[in-house]
Amino acid sequence: MRYGYYLVLLGLLGSCTAPESTAPKVAFEVPANFPAPTYDFSRNPITQDGFELGKALFNDPILSRDLTISCAECHTQPHGFTHHGHDVSHGIDNRKGTRNSLPIQNMAWESEFFWDGGVGDLDFVPIVPIENPVEMDENTGNVLEKLRQTRRYPLLFKKAFGSEEITSQRFLKALSQFMLTLVSANSRYDKYVRQEGEVLTQEERAGLALFKQNCASCHAGELFTDKSYRNNGLTLQGTPDEGRYLITANPADKYRFRVPSLRNVAVTAPYMHDGRFYTLEAVLDHYASGVQDTPNLDPLLQQNGRRGIPLTAQEKAQLVAFLGTLTDTDFLTDKRFSSH
Amino acid sequence: MLACNPKEVDPSETSSVILEFDNRVGAQKLALGTTTYQNAGGEAFTVTTLNYFISNVALRKADGSVIQFPDQYFLIRQADAATWEPELKDVPLGDYNAITFTIGVDSARSASEIDARTGVLDITSYGTDGMYWSWNSGYIFMKLEGTSPVAPLNSAGQRAFQYHVGGYGGYTSPAPNNLRTVTLPITDALKVSANKKPTVHLIANLLKVFDGSTPLRLAQTHSVHSPAAAGPIANNYVQMFSVDHVHN
Repeated sequence: MRYGYYLVLLGLLGSCTAPESTAPKVAFEVPANFPAPTYDFSRNPITQDGFELGKALFNDPILSRDLTISCAECHTQPHGFTHHGHDVSHGIDNRKGTRNSLPIQNMAWESEFFWDGGVGDLDFVPIVPIENPVEMDENTGNVLEKLRQTRRYPLLFKKAFGSEEITSQRFLKALSQFMLTLVSANSRYDKYVRQEGEVLTQEERAGLALFKQNCASCHAGELFTDKSYRNNGLTLQGTPDEGRYLITANPADKYRFRVPSLRNVAVTAPYMHDGRFYTLEAVLDHYASGVQDTPNLDPLLQQNGRRGIPLTAQEKAQLVAFLGTLTDTDFLTDKRFSSH
Repeated sequence: MLACNPKEVDPSETSSVILEFDNRVGAQKLALGTTTYQNAGGEAFTVTTLNYFISNVALRKADGSVIQFPDQYFLIRQADAATWEPELKDVPLGDYNAITFTIGVDSARSASEIDARTGVLDITSYGTDGMYWSWNSGYIFMKLEGTSPVAPLNSAGQRAFQYHVGGYGGYTSPAPNNLRTVTLPITDALKVSANKKPTVHLIANLLKVFDGSTPLRLAQTHSVHSPAAAGPIANNYVQMFSVDHVHN
């Protein structure tokens, strides 16, 4: 022990700069007000080099068939890693999908992914956009082959995983490592509930009380979702998307979609699985007076002989004010996550 | 006690068994491409792709005990002759009179972590001939594609049919389960002895896909791409296998 100690000292003395830290600059930490994560980190521990590789892949259009679309194209940091302003995203050849891109944040606490929960493990998420004909329209095996032909990636894989070998496991784990570090838990609301000196305005506090009373049964807990699938009574328009039913084939799941988290909701417009509402006010108008009696409408939206959630104009304003406190500027501007 | 645990088997007391999958259409060898076949409904068809997974092979000994091989997965692809005769490894020496296997990838492995997805289960290993549904995480257990004059014209101007069967029962909520398992007698016992690799010659008769317990007609059923719709196909193809003979 003592000998080793002296060696370290000598190393320090012999160098002009401090030795490079091996501890990840981007560590994963469980915020004090969050529950335990669901992702099994023991099978994919986050390292600095794994994170850097994942970030490089996330921002690289090499993942798409014609090198035009990266993950970051439809998941931009300033908008909570969503595609701001797009009801549905434009993929390759300007093809349009059918669903609004979900935020990428707090993925370690998710156990099912996408609006219909068709994927049950974060490590398997990236191949969905890669192989979707209207998103990246590429074959994941071919992505790996393209990465092998670069000068850059074999070296990045070696740094992250010990050898230059590029496998599906390493590729997907690196992307998971990057996504897992995207933790948003520093909004004004968080600092308020953690009693870090933040105060909410009277209007925001009124909104919080209304939220707990009317919204928190589905948008539950500190992640603002109970992870269930529900039909919130949207008008069935166009060719209706059958949601969770497409995965389970259970008629009771028709028109049900995943309850999304509301963190950073003020910057992730538009809203709903098909991005039909462009403002939070439009969302609240829907819950107050737009809920339709469609098959499998959630029981919580048809109580006391009326559909929807009664809200006055003032209450809607208070709710919008509260939802704004869930915006986490630190997260949205954190340079570690930025591609630039 | 030792015999119950495959990890304890002495290598000198095991050998391999070749499982030969001989894909046929009735009394004809399956040839991909232009050869025209006919189902019992009189519908003409060609086959351009036939792939299927085989997993959870088990062999029954003459004394009734069953030896299971849970970690060996095979992908049979008609386009690649190298996949037609996979080798079942670590088979204890002895005589066997029945074989069991699952068509597809069992539920546990279908939902397993990425590290368990190697070999034929590597979800990125299928090239353009995909055997994995990314949007509904799961393997395509069996893929049969071809053309038929009774199928409607598709956007590519072809009268094509596609039967893609998957669905392992879901991660958390119950979802369609199209895993099917078949047990076949081996009438002339399979004799596994040291330094020999006997062969079980299996025939898969594709006509059963159309003419099994639920007759399927290409005029009506020509495009199946989801677990919910694939049940009848799975019920049919589980009947297509038979053990023709063994080479000891």
